[in-house]
Amino acid sequence: MTALSKETKPIRQKAIRADRSFDLFVGVMVVLVLLVTLYPIYLVVICSFSDPALVTSGQVTLYPRGMTLLGYNAVFQNRELIHSFFNSVVYTVTGTMISLAVTMGAAFTLSRKFPGKKLLSFLFAFTMFFNGGLIPTFLTIRDVGLYNNSWVCILMGCVSVWNVMVARTYITSTIPEALYEAANLDGATQIQYFIRIVIPLSGTIIAVLSVYYGVAKWNDYWTGLIYLQTRSLLPLQTILKEILASLESSRELLMSMVSDTAAQDAELLNRAQIAKYCIIVVSTVPAVVLYLCMQKFFVKGVMIGSVKG
Amino acid sequence: MLKTLNKQRPVRSRWKKLGQSILQNRWLYVLILPALVYLIIFNYLPMYGIQIAFKDYKAVRGIVGSPWTGMNGFKHFYTFFNAYYFGRLIGNTLLLNVLSLLFSFPMPIALALIVNNIRSQRLKKFTQTAIYVPHFISTVVLAGILYILLSPTNGIVNHLISALGGKSIYFMNEASWFRPVYIISGIWQNAGWDSILYIAALAGVDPELYEAATIDGANKWQKVRYIDLPHIVPTATMMLILNSGSLLSSATQKTLLLQTGGNMATSDIIGTYVYTMGLGSGQFSYTAAIGLFVNVVNFILVLSTNKISARMNGETLF
Repeated sequence: MTALSKETKPIRQKAIRADRSFDLFVGVMVVLVLLVTLYPIYLVVICSFSDPALVTSGQVTLYPRGMTLLGYNAVFQNRELIHSFFNSVVYTVTGTMISLAVTMGAAFTLSRKFPGKKLLSFLFAFTMFFNGGLIPTFLTIRDVGLYNNSWVCILMGCVSVWNVMVARTYITSTIPEALYEAANLDGATQIQYFIRIVIPLSGTIIAVLSVYYGVAKWNDYWTGLIYLQTRSLLPLQTILKEILASLESSRELLMSMVSDTAAQDAELLNRAQIAKYCIIVVSTVPAVVLYLCMQKFFVKGVMIGSVKG
Repeated sequence: MLKTLNKQRPVRSRWKKLGQSILQNRWLYVLILPALVYLIIFNYLPMYGIQIAFKDYKAVRGIVGSPWTGMNGFKHFYTFFNAYYFGRLIGNTLLLNVLSLLFSFPMPIALALIVNNIRSQRLKKFTQTAIYVPHFISTVVLAGILYILLSPTNGIVNHLISALGGKSIYFMNEASWFRPVYIISGIWQNAGWDSILYIAALAGVDPELYEAATIDGANKWQKVRYIDLPHIVPTATMMLILNSGSLLSSATQKTLLLQTGGNMATSDIIGTYVYTMGLGSGQFSYTAAIGLFVNVVNFILVLSTNKISARMNGETLF
């Protein structure tokens, strides 16, 4: 007995030493990962509250300096931005609700056995690997009358086949077949079973899907860019593309702040720069807040749904 | 007489049975109908519209009525393959995607291994929540942040460079910086989110395996190497198949946002070219042909990676 412990002791000690270095390594990496992930976000937020001159000269790095709401004022005075913000809210809310209803219906159907299931599954899956491409899709959308129609922003992407598959896997793996048989014995039709039993039991996956669809809708600039022409219909992100994603400061943004006559040109430019930080904060908060609220459903929902079915 | 009756009966009853089954399941068809209609309008009608790639699209005559082009309908493909920018477009697209895949692919795996080995449960949860956040930032906003932070005059990165005695770099307007900016920002935005699947795979590892390894004298490095990594391989293979299917399609939406006059030499990819020439200049048929070419190549890529992986370790997508 003693001979054995003498022999194993150095090995175990070696393992313990290696474990310590491992824990240290993991600790350092976690700190690094968190810094790299969160610092840019933190920087944008503190800059949005800081004195424009200090921000543009690179003096705001750790905490806000010269607290001001000038940038936010400029953003909230810009009518076009506010209008497109509300457009996005409408597109996102209606679009997400339609998406959820359509996706859950399709997912439930594909979770059951019925004639033609193979064909339908194939028709759904095939779209994940082949599509018409930008131009034929554009021409089709135009031909069916959705060009420059706000419905295009609501309907585009309202069925993600991937999400249908995730929801189907969730239904088959969490709702026992015995429930269906019991409901069937009680004389429930399939639609009653779907509405009274499947939907109430699918809370987790519905929460996850609403974040997927909601965030995708909210963050979509492409549909507005391609399919809309009338400026008053544009969603927020398409407007943001003009303001944020170019080398020059947006002129409109400058114009909206010219009302302040006391300000010098250079100062105006600085303020436009700050306004960009504020726009970023204002446009990103809804998506991130939605995610953080639904966050507890995530790990569970995503795991169950993504198990290969 | 008797013979025919015997033959017909099972057939007829099979049809009757099918009819009954369809009637019984009528609500299922009703429930799947909206999604099917969506796919028909937004996916299958455009596929039917691909025919304009072989035609000369005339707005007045529509998709079906436009005349076929020369060279048996392949004129546009011929023009594209012989265009002098063909090489640059293919090269830029492939290089961007291959480099992106090469650098981005291992990151979520590394992240998952780190997160899985955090000992404090609270820190683990916090880290998980935090690394998913960048995924919820829109591409437009990501591009906006890049333009601001990398600005040559007042961006924080260049302030830092000049403080260290370097010369400021015009990141967003230099061809050599386009790919690094694209790839690094992509990793920042998606590595955390993409680690979810791997974290899920690791959560499924039987705890007894770790206990057995401890008894055998394995340290934590060895546990990662011999327990965690093998458990990730199936998921990693699946992700690799999924990703390799888009080697030519690439993120047009993001590239378009990061494209400037100065970086065209590297940022001019097939997707943005189709966008500007197709929707900007109205060359519908020509750009539809380019789009079809890309789609066919991607489709072949998915099928072949799927086959290869099936042969190698039995992991397939479908």
